[in-house]
Amino acid sequence: MYKVNPLILVVDDEPDITTNLAAFLQRTGFLTRTAADGEAALEEIQQEPPDLVVLDVLMPRLDGREVLRQMRKAGNWMPVILLTQVGESFERAMALEEGADDYLNKPFDPHELVARIRAVLRRARPGEPPLSASWMLVSGALRLERRSRRVYLQDQELVLTPKAVLLLEYLMTHPDELLSRQRLLDVVWGWEYPVGSRAVDTRIAELRRAMDDDAADPRYIETVPGQGYRFIGCVEGRS
Amino acid sequence: MKRHWLWVLLPLLLAGVLGFVISRVGSFNPTVYLRAELSILTQICGVGLALLLAGWFFVKDYSEAARQSTREESKTQTDEDRRHFLQRLDHELKNPLTAIQAGLANLGERLDSQTLESINAQTQRLSRLVMDLRKLSDLETRPIEFTLVNLAEILKTVAGMTEESRCVKGIKLTLNLPQAPWPLPLVSGDGDLLMLAFHNLLDNAIKFSESGDTVEVRAFEDGTMVVVEVADTGPGIPEEELPHVWEELFRGQGARGISGSGLGLALVRVIIERHHGQVNLRSRTEQGTMVIVRLPLIDHQK
Repeated sequence: MYKVNPLILVVDDEPDITTNLAAFLQRTGFLTRTAADGEAALEEIQQEPPDLVVLDVLMPRLDGREVLRQMRKAGNWMPVILLTQVGESFERAMALEEGADDYLNKPFDPHELVARIRAVLRRARPGEPPLSASWMLVSGALRLERRSRRVYLQDQELVLTPKAVLLLEYLMTHPDELLSRQRLLDVVWGWEYPVGSRAVDTRIAELRRAMDDDAADPRYIETVPGQGYRFIGCVEGRS
Repeated sequence: MKRHWLWVLLPLLLAGVLGFVISRVGSFNPTVYLRAELSILTQICGVGLALLLAGWFFVKDYSEAARQSTREESKTQTDEDRRHFLQRLDHELKNPLTAIQAGLANLGERLDSQTLESINAQTQRLSRLVMDLRKLSDLETRPIEFTLVNLAEILKTVAGMTEESRCVKGIKLTLNLPQAPWPLPLVSGDGDLLMLAFHNLLDNAIKFSESGDTVEVRAFEDGTMVVVEVADTGPGIPEEELPHVWEELFRGQGARGISGSGLGLALVRVIIERHHGQVNLRSRTEQGTMVIVRLPLIDHQK
């Protein structure tokens, strides 16, 4: 469990965003600090290490991606949530690959940010790399190799669509976390759409079929009625 | 090679045959010009004419091709410009919206009034618009995940999803899917996107129709394409608006007072075109509207 009042560093070059977000986070029980660009963020992180950084990507001087790269290179595994600017899928995949713990597309509902922050803090083990920074994710007999986008069950390769792999990757990097259909849709597509929740259900069904996972008695993916899905297997990251 | 180039052979053959016949007959072969026999002269004429025709076709084809390529170039350029514009617009809108949403969340408990509610609703609307714009520019470039898709199933699912809105408004829907001589063939595409496209079309048909109207969805194949028609007996679209219905953010006179972003049909067009298909719309005011979607059969995919 994390501290009662974790310190969150909010980094964005728009003062109206940092001010309003910081105020909202304080109201929900966090302590906050703000920084207006990447260099200021790195200084803040050195002076008073926060418990988590909310980091915008597009910023003057030093952008969020570079800040994250420098932190990870220096072995700093402080939890980071990226606010991505481009809705494109490669950008989202990059965010995870570069060791962000989670990401959100702008504009977002501030309540969703709070939910993300809580989930990341609950999962984080101080000083250790997050699952999202591992190249291989293992849960029992299930193995996902992220670089090659291949999934194995008992060393047998599974035939999956790229979108199903993306979905499984997000579920496995966020184990034991209730993920709404909207959130998963946003992960796979970068945006929601009216018939989207069905699309998520279809992919989950595809994953279950391939992994031979019984929806009534799941080993991996659990349905939370009326709310979403949760990866219940214990996940281990390997490099 | 274009068919009209065969015309070049015509004078050549004609003159050849004629010249040969004249020289064979022998009796009628006077020296007509520069002491050349008529048979030879005819053949020379034929060659000349063929050359002339060839030259003419060459110039015509060449200039047409040149025109076409400039047209295509300028179209790609316009498409590119538009995409950049959409991306920039998306970028410029999402920061203020993020700030407004955070600000509103702060007001949350302090101001629980109708005003706040309406500001909230309008902010949500703007956010949706930004998201739709992003979808549009994303769809134009993202790689499509092609799999075998059962269109009949998609149409049934989409019809089921609109059941509630149809019942509330009192609109009758008939779904006509072929069984004989064979059911609708599978198409190659992204099932999620095709579902989104047909959902938008059916949703539009229902949205613009009134109680007592009929909506018909018909699907069939014509040997090269799968054709899906979504037709309604709604108010129809005025003729002067028809050229604009597929444009982004276009909303017709009849759409005032009906919710929507003006991006629904634009999304449909992008999705179908990315599937190598075509979209058409026919409409008559007071009578109704029909959208025709054509998707290539698997063997006929480009």
